[in-house]
Amino acid sequence: MTLLLSFSEIVFYFLAAVLLYAGLRVITTRNPVQAALFLVLAFFTAAGIWMLLQAEFLAITLVLVYVGAVMVLFLFVVMMLDINLDRLREGFWDYFPLAGFVGVLMAIEMVMVLGTRHFGADWVIEPAPHAADYSNTAELGHLLYTDYVLPFELAAVILLVAIIAAIALTMRRRKNSKYTDPAQQVKVKRDDRLRIVKMQADVEQSVGIDGES
Amino acid sequence: MNILSDIYTALPEFFVLCMAMLILIVDLFLDDTQRYLTYALTQLTLLGAAVMTAVAHSNAVGYAFSGLFVDDAMAHTLKLMIYLSTSVVLVYSRTYIALRGMFRGEFFVLILFAMLGMMVMVSGQNFLTLYMGLELLSLCLYSLVALDRENARATEAAMKYFVLGALASGMLLYGMSMLYGMTGSLDLTQVSAAIMGGELNHPVLILGLVFVVAGLAFKLGAVPFQMWLPDVYHGAPTAVTLFIGSVTKLAAFAFVMRLLIQGLQILAHDWQGMLIIMAVLSIIIGNVAAIAQTNLKRMLAYSTISHVGFLLFGFFSGTMNGFVSSMFYIVAYVLMTLGGFGIILLLSREGFEAEELDDLRGLNVRSPWYAFIMLLLMFSMAGVPPTVGFYAKFAVMQAALQAGHVGLVVFAVLMAVVGAFYYLRIVKLMYFDEPLDAAPIQPPLDMALLLSANGLAVLAFGLLPERLMGVCATAILHSIQ
Amino acid sequence: MHVGLSHYLILGSLLFALSVVGIFLNRKNVIILLMAIELMLLAVNTNFIAFSHYLGNPTGQIFVFFILTVAAAESAIGLAILVLLFRNLKTINVDDMDVLKG
Repeated sequence: MTLLLSFSEIVFYFLAAVLLYAGLRVITTRNPVQAALFLVLAFFTAAGIWMLLQAEFLAITLVLVYVGAVMVLFLFVVMMLDINLDRLREGFWDYFPLAGFVGVLMAIEMVMVLGTRHFGADWVIEPAPHAADYSNTAELGHLLYTDYVLPFELAAVILLVAIIAAIALTMRRRKNSKYTDPAQQVKVKRDDRLRIVKMQADVEQSVGIDGES
Repeated sequence: MNILSDIYTALPEFFVLCMAMLILIVDLFLDDTQRYLTYALTQLTLLGAAVMTAVAHSNAVGYAFSGLFVDDAMAHTLKLMIYLSTSVVLVYSRTYIALRGMFRGEFFVLILFAMLGMMVMVSGQNFLTLYMGLELLSLCLYSLVALDRENARATEAAMKYFVLGALASGMLLYGMSMLYGMTGSLDLTQVSAAIMGGELNHPVLILGLVFVVAGLAFKLGAVPFQMWLPDVYHGAPTAVTLFIGSVTKLAAFAFVMRLLIQGLQILAHDWQGMLIIMAVLSIIIGNVAAIAQTNLKRMLAYSTISHVGFLLFGFFSGTMNGFVSSMFYIVAYVLMTLGGFGIILLLSREGFEAEELDDLRGLNVRSPWYAFIMLLLMFSMAGVPPTVGFYAKFAVMQAALQAGHVGLVVFAVLMAVVGAFYYLRIVKLMYFDEPLDAAPIQPPLDMALLLSANGLAVLAFGLLPERLMGVCATAILHSIQ
Repeated sequence: MHVGLSHYLILGSLLFALSVVGIFLNRKNVIILLMAIELMLLAVNTNFIAFSHYLGNPTGQIFVFFILTVAAAESAIGLAILVLLFRNLKTINVDDMDVLKG
């Protein structure tokens, strides 16, 4: 029993360390592509930690939705934009003393409040493990479609808004894009393509340079 | 509970949702000359929702969707006000957006979805519903600000708004996670009951509370979280500024009422101090910084910050009377802001934004009637009797006095006098300076009538505030126990 | 040390503090700013899931489900605004945004 617990502890400390390291690199790294990849690492390790907390459905969703879709979108945008990296780094460390101070202060205060004094293992007992046939996904699904159907609908509306907004903001018809319309091609008539110009037969007229006609 | 009866309770929301989607599809088949149909459908949606809300109006409290959604007098009253002010926003901004290439289906659909978000916030009875409503509103607002795609200033404003808004949501969520952890529930009533039950870890609750209040302050625009407000007001197209500045504040009021008063009133002793500091700072920064502005939109932004300070006076009084006067204040504020930005829209024309203070010079020569309307609005914002702005300030001050904050009230009155300077400067520009601009002012008939009514309402509600005060009192007393 | 609720909460708070520092440090670089916000939401989600597990109450996980959905929509809109910004200004450097001086 003790061996099993200590194994999950090792996993926790390992994942937490990787998660914090990845988070640190996201905010300090030089290159946005690297930052995005470190964020992917952070999401993966966070998914591992959620697994330890027996939130299997969300852990998998995090990997599928975040790593699979959102981060790919980030990478697309980073690579699409031609970003001047050196300019972005100018004065990066100027804010560091203030930011570091605020960050450390926040962290110390929060750790003091959230420390083992109130939430230690002896204060909050580990809940009893679920039965073998328990399905996290089934439980969440059941709740989503019964008690939480209103936010579920709202989430759909929010996604619709995201679609509308993204299209309205970024879609543009290029003036120089070339495309063919088959319907137009089929409907073409002779007169559209060929214009017969009637004109007078050219009669040679000599115009003198010296002005004699 | 039966899903049909749930939908019946939230009928206006579902109606707005269906109509927004219908408009989205109908708009696809319209060309630019028929676009007025989209506009007409949007106004019709507002009217329909108003009829549904008014018919269902009662003073009883009803719950739907497993207690996630509440239907009470405050929700009804605020929703009716939201429909009305959205409709006014659309009338005022119609010409403006048409001249700037924004008279597109997306504009109206996003406005309707934003309004749906506000309706959900107003009826939210659970952290989750409140959060979803807030995000629906915010996402629509970010995109509305950036909708004028060629306008670099608007895009920049949208980016700032987005980053700070997302940060605020993050803080709010962190606070909510702490409160959830301590009380084991997301439901406002159960959270309240769990805190009342005692034996909870106080420092952790306070940690959660601090983050929630900071997130709320960001969204409201109270100092020290006000930095986005002037830039967004200035950068956004004026029609969108009008929407953000006026209608959304009604939802913000409801959000604070639900979260702090309904959910966390037992912790009032702890959040009162924070609100007092924010109120005092907001009034100082808002009034002092407004004096230095030459841009009318920025000036109104700082004016909003100081109004938020006054609004908070009603909240930290912590009495029913305080909440009622806060509600009165927010309604008066919406009325004044609609009119103020309405005048800016009135003076704008193709390729010209009338947003500098100088553009108001000699308005009296150009149009005595609109100069008079603007005079009423400025007097009201400054709090000069007998306008509604005076009565609103008077009511919140009285509530704060009853709660024993004498020093703060004296201070606020002094700052209001300082603030009167920059409002009266506009009156001076309009009446005593020569116009720089001689373009005729010819608004469409509906806008002319509505703007006149808006200006006169500021005066009328100032002379006879009892009726509006009665509506606010009924709404609050039947909703907050 | 025995891993309990407080370990997860401290992890969340450290991640949260890290993202706040990131927002301070990367005031110039909007795209990293967006990533820092994602990190902040990850901290919040970890908190909710930890509480949900120890309270034996799935509501917290439901909240996380919705935060994930909203955050995905939010980053789509944020990136759309970013693309627009780049088109209009040819930069994502906050210093080059000087039209509005807040």
